[in-house]
Amino acid sequence: MGEKIKSGKEVIDEFFSEILNIKGVDEKTVDMLVQLYGDDKLTDTNIQNELEQLKISALKTSKKDSDDQN
Amino acid sequence: MTKIKNLEITGLRGVKESLKLNLDKKSILIYGDNGTGKSSLTDSFEWFYGNHIAHLSNEEIGGRGREALRNIFLADEDEGFININFDDNDLDAKKSINNANKVQTSNTSDYFNEYIQDSGSENLILRYRDLVEFIIATKTEKLNKLQEIIGFSEVAKIRTLLKRNFGRIKKNIKASDYDGRKSVKQATILENLGRNAYSDEQLFDGVNELIKPLKLKIVVKSREGINAVIKEISSKEDSNLSDEINFNGRVKDTIAELKQISNTVNNDYSKFYTAFQDLQKEPEKIKNLQLLALLKEGKSVLTKDVVEDDYCPLCLQEKSKVQLIQELNSRINELEQLAEEKKSIDEQAKELKQIIQIKINSFEAILKDKSFEDDKFEELKGKLNSIKAILNSLILELDKGLTDKIKDPKELNLSEKELQTLVETIVFEIEKLIKTKATNIKFTIYTKLIQTASAYKEYLRLNAEESVLRKQQVTFELLYEDFIRRQEESLNIFLSMFSKDINDYYTTMNPKEKVEDIRLIPLTKNEELVGITIDYKFFDVRRVPPEAFLSESHINCLGLSFFLASVKAFNKRNKFFVLDDVISSFDRSHRYRFAQLLTEKFSEYQIILLTHEKEFFELVSSEVKSKGWLLRNFKWSKESGTGIEKGIADIKERILKKLEDRNTDGLGNDIRIYTEKVMKKVAYELEAKVSYRDNVTNEKRMAPELLDAVQSKLKASVELKEIANIPKIKGMPMFVGNTTSHDNDFQASIEDLDAIWEDVKKMIHSFYCKDCSKFISTILYDPVRKKIRCGCENLIYDWK
Repeated sequence: MGEKIKSGKEVIDEFFSEILNIKGVDEKTVDMLVQLYGDDKLTDTNIQNELEQLKISALKTSKKDSDDQN
Repeated sequence: MTKIKNLEITGLRGVKESLKLNLDKKSILIYGDNGTGKSSLTDSFEWFYGNHIAHLSNEEIGGRGREALRNIFLADEDEGFININFDDNDLDAKKSINNANKVQTSNTSDYFNEYIQDSGSENLILRYRDLVEFIIATKTEKLNKLQEIIGFSEVAKIRTLLKRNFGRIKKNIKASDYDGRKSVKQATILENLGRNAYSDEQLFDGVNELIKPLKLKIVVKSREGINAVIKEISSKEDSNLSDEINFNGRVKDTIAELKQISNTVNNDYSKFYTAFQDLQKEPEKIKNLQLLALLKEGKSVLTKDVVEDDYCPLCLQEKSKVQLIQELNSRINELEQLAEEKKSIDEQAKELKQIIQIKINSFEAILKDKSFEDDKFEELKGKLNSIKAILNSLILELDKGLTDKIKDPKELNLSEKELQTLVETIVFEIEKLIKTKATNIKFTIYTKLIQTASAYKEYLRLNAEESVLRKQQVTFELLYEDFIRRQEESLNIFLSMFSKDINDYYTTMNPKEKVEDIRLIPLTKNEELVGITIDYKFFDVRRVPPEAFLSESHINCLGLSFFLASVKAFNKRNKFFVLDDVISSFDRSHRYRFAQLLTEKFSEYQIILLTHEKEFFELVSSEVKSKGWLLRNFKWSKESGTGIEKGIADIKERILKKLEDRNTDGLGNDIRIYTEKVMKKVAYELEAKVSYRDNVTNEKRMAPELLDAVQSKLKASVELKEIANIPKIKGMPMFVGNTTSHDNDFQASIEDLDAIWEDVKKMIHSFYCKDCSKFISTILYDPVRKKIRCGCENLIYDWK
């Protein structure tokens, strides 16, 4: 059999190294996940906090854009 | 990969004084009766690598088994320790425990710590009680166990994280009801602007149209422009009226937003109510659900070997432990399905509560508005409080337990019609307020502009928030899909290769037994990986699970095959493993094949094989010895605890030593024991028939009986009959006698014994090939040439 058994770590590392190639994903969300994984801080709580920060930041940008536009 | 050079244990478990094993990286077969302390060796190993002893870890023995680790006769000032020297000297370490149960390890290097950490996830020890653990485990336990040993637990955790976040964002979007709330804002815009405004352009067109009667000579092109117009036309004297209109507008929006989801809340509560009632229709099952924790604990007690013998720890009746675990698994499985239904209802309740809670928060916020301090809003306040009370009651009902009675949906209905009427009443009130200044066109436009600008701003905010969340939701969904594809691909490759090894080992131990093509199969439910099962072909029909059709001995073989396949697949740091009494339930043929499996397919590994079965020890001693294994006997004494019995482990070595020392003491008896042992093997390989005997007595075959049986088979080969010359051996003094004289030695000179030994060796070498280390065997019979041979054909005889 030519296929290789991958360890769990290999599966996860591969996933995070190729994650940005997945079509249709939000770059900022993915960057955040890669960063957390790299820092060994990929926990549910950290993800939730970071998602909330991304939301706040996106809403600020959206408000600023529309203010600038007007 | 690491092997053990030597080890020493002192003052741990049954070992009081020093127990030393100089292994020199070789495998070893250790025999010891029950109670001689074989498991002390295994326990010490487990402690060395894992800092605990699983089967001693219970509430009565603290410190994860450490409190039972020190030998009880050890002096307070002495330490118990295990000292292991490896082929890699940098890993040499002594781990000790003092009287205060303080543990110390001599090697504190990062290199050693990393080695210990890596070894923690390797398959180093298999005890008899753990043999069937995987085979009879539930499908979920099998999945968890496999994921754990192949390092997929982390993969499962990431998968759960991705799924959980996808689900959470999806639920948040649903609970936030963006569509409903945005539609309420658009309704406000429509009421005031006379058109919807989904974009700035539509808004500015509408606003310019609205302010036309004011002839301000301003064309609104931005939201700042709208603010400028508001500032231009605002009037301080109308501010109270304006505030009241705005307040009514906020109350109206709060109620309108609730109206938008009222049907969803009513329907979801009805569904919850029906599912809840259905579950309550089976009170027996509900009652049994409370037993789930007890049954799981019972199973844990059995699998951890807190109860070692075959009896039920509750009713104390005799019962096979394997059967007991199987029955518990079946009951746990049934109740877990019920628990799954309950979990699904709890999930429904949780989601609905989240939706309702957001609305309660909105109502609480608006009820705190200062305007409600005015008595004229008393009636409106009362209505809002009534609605809030229904919402609070819904939350209370959703929190109830399965034994409680919950309210019928009719009692807690959020009437869309009533909410709509209330909205219309407030809209009417707003219009009425505006009409008080009907002649003041500036005020009318001002009011409409204020409400439009506020609604549009909120509409944009909701749009932006929803857009962010939807992007996050899509991202997590795509990541999750990609991740499970990767996980399943890897798992399938692993299962397929792993199954091949298990199948190979199992069929090696059980050839021609019609159990074939053993496979580990992933099980999915709603596209989710939920477990693993084992299937196999039994008389060409695919069967599952193993415990339904296989005997205990065969299930044990399967468990052993699983362990050995795990060793090959996943042990990356250690080239050794310990098998502690794993063949107890095997019959004779399985035992011999098991030894062959180890020596042939695991020859590159260092194996520490412990057994309390004398027959097994004798049966396989020559097989493993020929492959360079060491042989030792364990004994136990009150003074020293576990120790090694000197001198009798390897009979052949002892014979040679006595011949060399010209020591006749017991030499004849040793030659007889050795001959019996080898002739058992010859009789087995040639299928020589002996009379039937029960169980243990079956193993007690005297040399004359075995020699006669083999001689009888040699009718098939004149050539071999002449070379073996069995009658000559049978006439020797130590082979003349019966059971009662079995252990009686006889007197002979060293010269006689030299000659006897040479004849015995010659006879044995007519059956046993030193080149391939195999006996001639009927399995290797060539029916075309009518020859019987050893493995390499250096020994080959006519056989007719």
